[in-house]
Formats: sequence, structure tokens, C-alpha cells
Amino acid sequence: MSNQLATNKGSLLRSIRKNKLIYLMIFPGLLYILIYKYIPMYGLIISFQNYKPYKGIMGSEWVGFEHFTRLFNSPDFWMIFSNTLILFGLQLLIYFPIPIILAIMLNELRNEIYKKTVQTLIYLPHFMSWVIVVSISFVIFTFDGGIINGMLESLGFSKINFLLSSDWFRPMYILQIIWREAGWGTIVFLAAIAAVDPQLYEAAKMDGASRFRQMISITLPSIKSVIIVLLILKIGDVLELGFEHVYLLLNSTNRHVAEIFDTYVYVSGILQGQFSYSTAVGFFKGFVGLILVLLANWLAKRYGEEGIY
Amino acid sequence: MVRVRSKSALALLVMFALLLTACGNSAGTETNKGSESKGETPASRTKISIMTPLHMAEVPDPKIEQLIEEKLNVDLDIQWIPASTYQDRMTAAFATGSLTDIVNISMTGANREAIKDGQFWDISSYINEYPNLKNLKQDVLNNTLVDGNLYALYQGRPLSRQGIIYRSDWAANLNLAAPETLDELYEMIKQFTESDPDKNNANDTIGLADRGDLTSGAFKTVASWNGVPNEWGMLDGKLAPAFMFPEYKETMDFFKKLRESGYMNTDFPVTSKTDQQNLIINGKAGVYIGCMCDVQQLYTGASQLNPDVQFDVHNKVVGKTGQFTVWSGPGYNHPYLFPKSAVKTEEELKTVLAFLNGLMDPEIANLLYWGIEGEHYSVVDGKAVPISDRGKLDREVIPYNTIEVGDPDTSGRLSGSYDYAPMARAQQLFTDNDNYVVQDPTLTLESQTFTQNKDRLAQLINDATYNYMLGESDEAAFNQAIERWKNEGGAQIIEEFNASYEMSK
Repeated sequence: MSNQLATNKGSLLRSIRKNKLIYLMIFPGLLYILIYKYIPMYGLIISFQNYKPYKGIMGSEWVGFEHFTRLFNSPDFWMIFSNTLILFGLQLLIYFPIPIILAIMLNELRNEIYKKTVQTLIYLPHFMSWVIVVSISFVIFTFDGGIINGMLESLGFSKINFLLSSDWFRPMYILQIIWREAGWGTIVFLAAIAAVDPQLYEAAKMDGASRFRQMISITLPSIKSVIIVLLILKIGDVLELGFEHVYLLLNSTNRHVAEIFDTYVYVSGILQGQFSYSTAVGFFKGFVGLILVLLANWLAKRYGEEGIY
Repeated sequence: MVRVRSKSALALLVMFALLLTACGNSAGTETNKGSESKGETPASRTKISIMTPLHMAEVPDPKIEQLIEEKLNVDLDIQWIPASTYQDRMTAAFATGSLTDIVNISMTGANREAIKDGQFWDISSYINEYPNLKNLKQDVLNNTLVDGNLYALYQGRPLSRQGIIYRSDWAANLNLAAPETLDELYEMIKQFTESDPDKNNANDTIGLADRGDLTSGAFKTVASWNGVPNEWGMLDGKLAPAFMFPEYKETMDFFKKLRESGYMNTDFPVTSKTDQQNLIINGKAGVYIGCMCDVQQLYTGASQLNPDVQFDVHNKVVGKTGQFTVWSGPGYNHPYLFPKSAVKTEEELKTVLAFLNGLMDPEIANLLYWGIEGEHYSVVDGKAVPISDRGKLDREVIPYNTIEVGDPDTSGRLSGSYDYAPMARAQQLFTDNDNYVVQDPTLTLESQTFTQNKDRLAQLINDATYNYMLGESDEAAFNQAIERWKNEGGAQIIEEFNASYEMSK
């Protein structure tokens, strides 16, 4: 297939005509991306200006890299950057493997009804907004009468102030992400696992491999490329940590571990009407994400795997 | 085979696209429905457009709008914008030059720059030509001045509605009277926690329920009772921010002690207003410091769970100064400005001002606030008593409250009477507070650095305040935060405000 999509214009048109339906299928998506993602990039220019809404883009004065210097010189810059990287690292190391493990475990289930029920139950949290997830956590973990603290007390331990302590911010953050997203993440992996040739399993069984051995030697290697693609995509999202989620968890006591670019820009930029500054920070975020994706993709190719492009 | 398939695929695609657009646009079409269902309007009527926030789920019935159009002989175009997206819509309207003749925007931050840039009409020379507009309170108008010029008309709000709401049945059980001093307040909160005020032989109550908002929660009010100025005050002859006053630290200590002793909800920095009110409604807490108007809501909720519950309101709590002082707001909400991009000539400006003047006539003011007499309210002893069908009021009258001009004193509109005695008492106490208010002196002063950095710097100080009250940091750390505030722009702000103050004298 990929050979047919050659760079030669004639053969491109030919392949479009030949694979009409496929191109038609991706056309709305392409249009959406063009209109909502590429064309608005024009607005990035305002990060080099002192944009005033009533003056418009053409009428606002140019200030060059002033906003970027302001960002890098801000006393909190390194704190915010390191917070962002740490949260990202946590997501990669702790959250990322979980849907894979869950998918493999689900694959091992024999009882179809049980399997379907579990799948549905773990998908559901994905549809709840972060406000709901954080509110539920609040009720469970609150110091004055929350369930967890109630349990701790009755077991003889002292109560822990989960919500107002900076030590607990990162664990709570990851826990909430796992609860909400792990189930949804299993979808892609389950599909990949289902695509593995059953003959491989039969051959392994005949050679006397245990279920566990089968999982390690057949399932995992087969879905390796899917894992890598998703990993690269996730890395590209490095600085998209979810404004809503962190903003809801932010409070005065955990700010030095919880402040990320998005929340910083909300207070310093958007609330104060400084659109150019906010755009500059967003530009920087996107740029770092781009570098990381390119890097990850190159690394993947280097090790013989298929990258994203 | 391929042909048939591609036709049905295309049909499916088009269907999906249509479905998506149908789902996506329901929010956008709400805004202009108000002006569509009219009869014929005489061509001679002037057209006036106004953007206003909508706090309900639906655009209101145009009945009242049509009545106003007839009485004032205008062709009114009210653009209802959902309150949650109001700020964003304003920004977008600015950027695309699609503001209406009358806009209701905040006068701080980015908007202030636009005002100073001359985007709005200066109405100082026109306002006295109108009999009703002339009567608007000068003090409140002064609070809206930018660079000494008047750009806005206002919708009035009582200067201070702050006070305490407490369980008077608990107080009676423990022989406690309404607290007159901060010490008595502390004592009441302590007793409500320790002395089983609900007489159920269980230690299940706390005194104070507060929320995570230093301004609208209990903190600022208690601070002002203790003599802390309203945001800025005179320290050693110069203007200084409130947190530099020793009384501010005393207030922090007050709350810190309350929290450490378990007399208030420990997680108050992350408690929402709903949860705070639920603590009172569920009979878990007995004291609420905030707007005394909330007593109605608290009573309605609490009496459903416990019909014997009794609340009372009280405003005068005195601190160590011996004098009662309470912080006040600017006296207005909804300032109305007139963008030059929409109101192009002086003639147009005059018609717009005439319209707003008309809105201040008692007859129209009553229409906007109470509705149609006989249908939405009746007059008893010179006061308005709204009908009990809250739904009807929400659909037909309440949204129009947002375009009211002036206040009951200046427009002559009826004030309301309330069945619930503490709520009626609260209204009286609002007026009583007027005699003791402390204003924010910087409302009319200029500081460029303040406009550009206030949110970020405020966050610094709020964080330091919370950390101190939670015991996470000590006084040294708080002082460090103040130093940091000064270094990151605060020192400049102090200079600028003081310079502006000298100029204004």
C-alpha cells in the first residue's frame, strides 16, 4: 500500500482515484485539522506583539521576543518547568503501563459476560469531567469526615491531610488520572491484542508454554509497535497536562509542586488580559512538544521500530 | 458495486456533518432570540442595542421588553449572553468590533486600558442634562472615574452586606447573646463546638463554617472588624496595602487558633460555597460570616431538615479599636459604558443616554425589577410582594434585573418586603452598615503596575496568608512573602498609588 502513495503527482492522483473511499473517510478529519489547527496558527504572531483586542492584529505594536524573555526570566520559570516535567515523567512511568497490563489481563478472561462488564465499568470514568472526579476525591479524602480519614482513624492511625499537603499532590494527581483514563486506554491495546494471530498461541501451547510465558513471548512483542506509537504520541503531549485537572487541585499549600505552565498563564496572562504573553507561553509549550516528538520518533526508528511518520 | 457503495458512503458522511452542526450550535442561537418575536415597529423608533449577562438557562419572555419599547419609544435589541462565557464574549466582541451601544463590562484590567485609550465616550458633560441620571449618587459615580473622567453609569449595590448569620436556637440553649466583640464571637464559636448546643448528647458540631475565599469568605470581613483597611490604607502617612498592617496578622492568628482548636472546618481553604452552606444547613456548624442576604437560602435549606431551626443576623462586631468598621464594595455592579465603535455620533449618544434616563423612571424601574403589577407582584403597604411562582418570575422577570440603572433611592423603584423576619432584618442592617463603611481608597487611583500584575501578586499574598493560617509557615515566612511582593512589583505599586493620591488631593 505505502508504495503506491508515491511522491509523483500522477501516481498520487491515481491512488486517490483507486482508494476513493479511504480518502473520503479521512477527508472530514483532514478538513477539521486544517481549519481548526493549522489556519489558527496565524494567531501565533501576537506573541511577538503587544496585542490589544480593540486594535486588532494589524494595529498592535511589535515587541519581538520581549514576552519570551519575560517568561524565561520569571523567578518561577524553573519551578514551573520542573513541575511540568516531573508530572509528565510520573504519567509516563506510572500511568502509561497500566492500560497495557489491564488489556493483557482482560484478554486472559474466559467468561465473556464478566469481561464485558469489567470493560464497561472501567471505561465509564473517562466520560466524567475533571470537576466531577476532583469533587468525588474531595469528598473521599477530606480531613473533616472523609471516608479514608474515617477508616484511618478507626484503625488507630492519625488522620492525613491529603488535600492540603504538598506531599500528597503528586500521588493524588496520578491516582485520579489512573482512575479516569486507564479503562479508556485499554481500548486500543485490546484491539491490538485481538489482532495477534491465534496460530502463534497454538504453536506455543504445543511447545508447552505456560499462559504467562505465552503472554511475555507472544502478546507483548506483537503489540510492541502499537505501544511505541502511543508512547510517542503521549510524549508529544508532554506539556498538555490538562489545565482543568491541575487547576482544580491547586491551592496555596501545594502551589510549588502543582503550578504548571497552563495554570501560570491563566493567572499571569489571561486573567490580566495579557493575551500576547499567554500566547508566547503556549508557543513555547508547543515548540518543546514538537522537539520531543521528533526526538522520540527518531529514537524509535533508530531501534528498528516504525515511527509515526 | 463500488459506485453504489461510494454513494451511500457520501450520504452517510453528509448526514453526520449535518448532525454535528445541529448539535453544536444550540448555544449560539440563544442569544438573539429575544429580539425576533416582535410585531411591526414604527420606522421612526431609534434602535438601541445592549449586551447583558444571562444568569438563567433560557432567554426570557419578551413581554417586558415590548412594554419598555412602547413606553420609551425605542427599538430595543437585547443580546443575552450566558453569564459563564460573558467575559470571553466581551473580549471577542472587542476584537471584532461588534460591541453594542451599551456594554456592561468590568472597568479593571485590560478593559481599563481600552477606556484610557479613548474607546468609550466620556459622558461627564452630558449626564446633567437628564433629570434622572442627574440623581445618580455622586459617591458611587466617583468610584467609576478613570483618570478623573466619567465613562459609566451604574447599577447600584448596597455598600456592605456583610455580617454574621448564626443559629439563634443554639445561642438560646447556651444563653449566648449576639456577639458584640471579636472576643465574644470567638467565645460563641468555641461554645458551639464544645458545649453540645443542639442538645443531642453528641459532640458533632463545630462553630464556624468558612470557605476558600479570603474576600467573600469570613477573612476580609473579620479583618475589617479588627481595623484592617479595605485593601489599602494609611500607614505612617502613606498608602500601604492591608497585609502590611499588624491587625492583618492578628486576624490571621484569630483564624489559625480557631482552626487548630477544631472550632471551624479544617479544610476551609478548599471548601466551596456550596459545601460551606451545607455545613450550616445540615446543622453541623452554627456560624456563617458573609452576606447576610444568604440567611434566606440557609433557612429554606435547613428548615426542610429540621423545622425547629432558627437563624438570626447581626452586623456590629467590634475589634480592638472599639469602633465598628466594615469594608465596603464600590457601591455598584454592572457599569454601563458606551463604545465609540457602536455609538458613532454625539446625537446617537444623546438618544442612548435618554433611553437609560427612561429606564430610571419609577414605572420602568419597577417593570425591570419586579415585573408587571398584578401579574408578577402586588403592592402591599407601599412595598412589592412578589408572587410565589418562582418559575414564572425566573422566566419572565429576573433576567431583566441585569439592565436596571441606579438604585432604589435614586430611581424610586419599590423595595421588597420579605416574609422571613431575619431576611427583613438583614435588609435593615445593610442600610445600617452604610454608616460604618470603609472604602478602598485606590478605587479611583491609577497604577499601571497594579493593573498589569494584580492577579499574580494577589495570589502571592493569598498563598502566604493561607499557609500561615494552616500552620505550614510562620511569621518569618509571611514577611518573606511580603518582601517578595515588594520586589516583584509591589514597591512600584506603592509609589504609583501614592503619587496618584497626591495628585488627586
